[in-house]
Amino acid sequence: MSFFGFDTTLPRDKAGGANSKGFFEHANPFNEVAKARKLQAFQDNQEEVLDFEDTYDGLGDQLQEAGDDFNDDTFGGGAEGSNDRGGVGKDFDFFGSTAQVSTAIEEEAMRYNLQYPSRETAPPQSRKPKKTGYEKYQDPGYIPEIEAKSGAWSHKPSTHSPGQPSQPEDIHVSTSRHTAPAPEAPQPGTKMMSLEEVEAALLAQAQAHARAQAAQAPQPPYPQPQVFPFPVDHMHPPQPYQPGPPPMPFNQQHAPPPPRSASPRRHNRMPSQPSHPSQTSQLRPAQQPLQILQNPNRARHSPQPSVDRVQGLPPYGPAQAGAAPGITHPQQLLDLSEAQRRAYLEEDAKRAKRNHKIFLLSKGNGLMTPQDKNFITRIQLQQLVTATGTSADPNPEASLNEDFYYQVYSQIRGAPRQHPTQPLGHFAQTYLFQTGIRGGGRRQHANGDNHMQRMQQQVQRAVEAAKLKPKNKQLIIEGSLGKISFSNAKTPKPLLNIKRQDSSDARPASGRKEVSPSDRKTILKNIEAVYTTLMRLEDHERQSPPPPTEGDADSIQAHLDWRQKLQELNTALWQELKVLDPIVPGSSIPHPFIAFLSFAKGKKAMPRIFRLIDQEQRLTILTMIVVHLDQLDVTKDARPAAGDSQPTLAVREEIELFSQTVMPCLLQYVNEAPINIVIGLLGLLVERTSIAVVAMTKIGLGMMTMLLTRAELSKESGVVSDQEWQQWTALYNRLFDTLEPLLGLLFPGPVNSGDDIYIWQFLATIGIGASPDQQQRLVIGVKDRVMETVQQSKTLPPEMASVRLGNVNLFMRAIGLDVEMLG
Amino acid sequence: MLFFSFFKTLTQQTVTVELKNDISIRGTLKSVDQYLNIKLDDIVVLDELKYPHLSSVKNVFIRGSVVRYVHLPPDKVDRGLLEDACRREAMAQKGKAA
Repeated sequence: MSFFGFDTTLPRDKAGGANSKGFFEHANPFNEVAKARKLQAFQDNQEEVLDFEDTYDGLGDQLQEAGDDFNDDTFGGGAEGSNDRGGVGKDFDFFGSTAQVSTAIEEEAMRYNLQYPSRETAPPQSRKPKKTGYEKYQDPGYIPEIEAKSGAWSHKPSTHSPGQPSQPEDIHVSTSRHTAPAPEAPQPGTKMMSLEEVEAALLAQAQAHARAQAAQAPQPPYPQPQVFPFPVDHMHPPQPYQPGPPPMPFNQQHAPPPPRSASPRRHNRMPSQPSHPSQTSQLRPAQQPLQILQNPNRARHSPQPSVDRVQGLPPYGPAQAGAAPGITHPQQLLDLSEAQRRAYLEEDAKRAKRNHKIFLLSKGNGLMTPQDKNFITRIQLQQLVTATGTSADPNPEASLNEDFYYQVYSQIRGAPRQHPTQPLGHFAQTYLFQTGIRGGGRRQHANGDNHMQRMQQQVQRAVEAAKLKPKNKQLIIEGSLGKISFSNAKTPKPLLNIKRQDSSDARPASGRKEVSPSDRKTILKNIEAVYTTLMRLEDHERQSPPPPTEGDADSIQAHLDWRQKLQELNTALWQELKVLDPIVPGSSIPHPFIAFLSFAKGKKAMPRIFRLIDQEQRLTILTMIVVHLDQLDVTKDARPAAGDSQPTLAVREEIELFSQTVMPCLLQYVNEAPINIVIGLLGLLVERTSIAVVAMTKIGLGMMTMLLTRAELSKESGVVSDQEWQQWTALYNRLFDTLEPLLGLLFPGPVNSGDDIYIWQFLATIGIGASPDQQQRLVIGVKDRVMETVQQSKTLPPEMASVRLGNVNLFMRAIGLDVEMLG
Repeated sequence: MLFFSFFKTLTQQTVTVELKNDISIRGTLKSVDQYLNIKLDDIVVLDELKYPHLSSVKNVFIRGSVVRYVHLPPDKVDRGLLEDACRREAMAQKGKAA
């Protein structure tokens, strides 16, 4: 039979026949129970995901497998197949047999309905699942959940309760579209209302409305409660931002207990929905002016996008809605004064016009689902909350902390685009302003302002709510390793915060005490502590109050406080630097401050520290460095390894850094120091350090150059007393004697190794202060190097040669000679 | 938000973004957001022969989660300031945790 060898029997040709249950062959008795539960759960929590099995009503399972009888007629099998026409017969009479089958189905359905009257509206044909999860969108009133979950909107869903199914006299029972299936509740079948049906229902309702008004019945019976699912919320002025529960007294038929069904708050902001005839409206004349004044379209500009762009509004829905909100009975209109009436009618006409315009503009409506819009609104609000969250902080420093790098960098290097000094908080206001313009339009400026205000209020609330619930940011699961943080705009990526228990910290702490105070980790910690205090000090300096004015006690007090704080921070910084820690002579452990300087970031901190400390502290630091000059990493490690002309790259970098960061600070101090301090420092250098080590290094030579130069300059300026000068000379002689045997070794590498200017500089400085005898010895000591350099420079290109010769000349001129004389 | 703050200073600079699927894209950093999503303009894919389908793409929006590295222009980074910004961030977090 089959060309490809497949089984070509169609399912309907198999045993069951055309009306078999097809896929739904297993009638599970527990389905009903599970279904009911799921349905309940669904109504309690609309986010429940439904699957087909749960919503399938099982009607198919109940169908009898009848109608097989005619299979043979249809398909030509059996004895009757070979009747009058022989063989072919009614093989292709599909209609005949199908009609019979469908009759059988209808009969079956009828029988079933009689058996189970409560299910009468569920037509047997509706084999489709009753809830697809999408039918909500066919509901023009459906607004899923327009509020940010932060609970920012103090408007609680439970505060406004529509009628409950348990109150049969309450005709607004129809609001419980999603309530549990009760006998008098709207039938599930109505949930599938199409647009046309909704439209028709609205029309019918409007007509019923008119009839009811004509009858002036105090309690007009409402004919079709189930087709109009909206609650009578227009009776309440929308009070979405009122923190407490909305006023209830006007609303006597509405049961106070909160509904356990689907959240009714989605109806709350729908004043523009077609109104519902209400017996209460006549009982509340006092409420009327409010209703008239109430702008039904305010919600249209509310930030909840889903309110106004409801899908599936009937074409003339908005216009109809415009007439609805305040006055539902002509009688009410008659009761008003002439002026009021005219005002109302004018207002009404305006509304209608505007509604028409909105309708014309609404062509793109419905492209996004309410969920989409809701999602975007939440993102936008979250960002606003972040932005205002920082600005709302009383401490402006917080925003700086948040965006420190950007703001400072922008100030230093010039902002790439935005205003560098614009605080973060302004972003939110800018944003609000823009949306106000966009949403408010040109004509409706007052409305736009109102919208902005409300938006701001919302943001304010969102911020407050976010502040009130900081604990919600984390979730601690029993037995988990840490807390799970939820993401927010500031920390988009959720973090796993590992709980750190104090007990686990305690043990290593006791062990740590035995560790040497100058191990790497401790030193790094010390450096970080210094930096922390340094930043505090800098922050504090930035917040300096204006200079105190005479007689203003407050400003004087502020200044005093500021000074005191500054002093405290300075003391803290000084202690953290550990400059005054006792010096242990001969110890293998370097002094904490020297260890501090052995790290690059310690060196980098020095200029900043020097700026903030006083002269005495600077001198102390300088003394410490001089005393430990041979222990600094930049001198200790600077001697090149055998065979190398240079120290290693890392050491060279450190040396470079030291000369760029620490040396200028020291130089600045020394350049202003009196001679006695210079004498003292040089004395310490000669006595306490190993000149042999120091003189071999760039930093050591630089330091000595610095001191010697300062002494020479002091002498030149004539402020040096004879006694001091004698002291100095004695010290100088000692230094010279120590240096003399080393003169030939000062140069680290062969003559072509380049960078030796600092050595020539040093030699020049020595030469200036030297006596003629000492100059002689000096020349003897470095003569070879001078000659070599001169020789070598002859082989070099002219520019390089002149540089080299210039360096040598620096020294030669200091002792009254010149390279030119060497020819 | 240190990284956000940091990357904001690099807008209009040329950076190379290396993605987790090994594509490297060089272009002008137009903007970055708090998720570190990146917008690049005038892009060039480094290994163009391997990814010919990208040769006609002029600008891209890169989701932050797919970025492996961002190569920065070193002269546009203030390291000292960055270190201080890190310290501030750490201080702020310590303050929050306490």
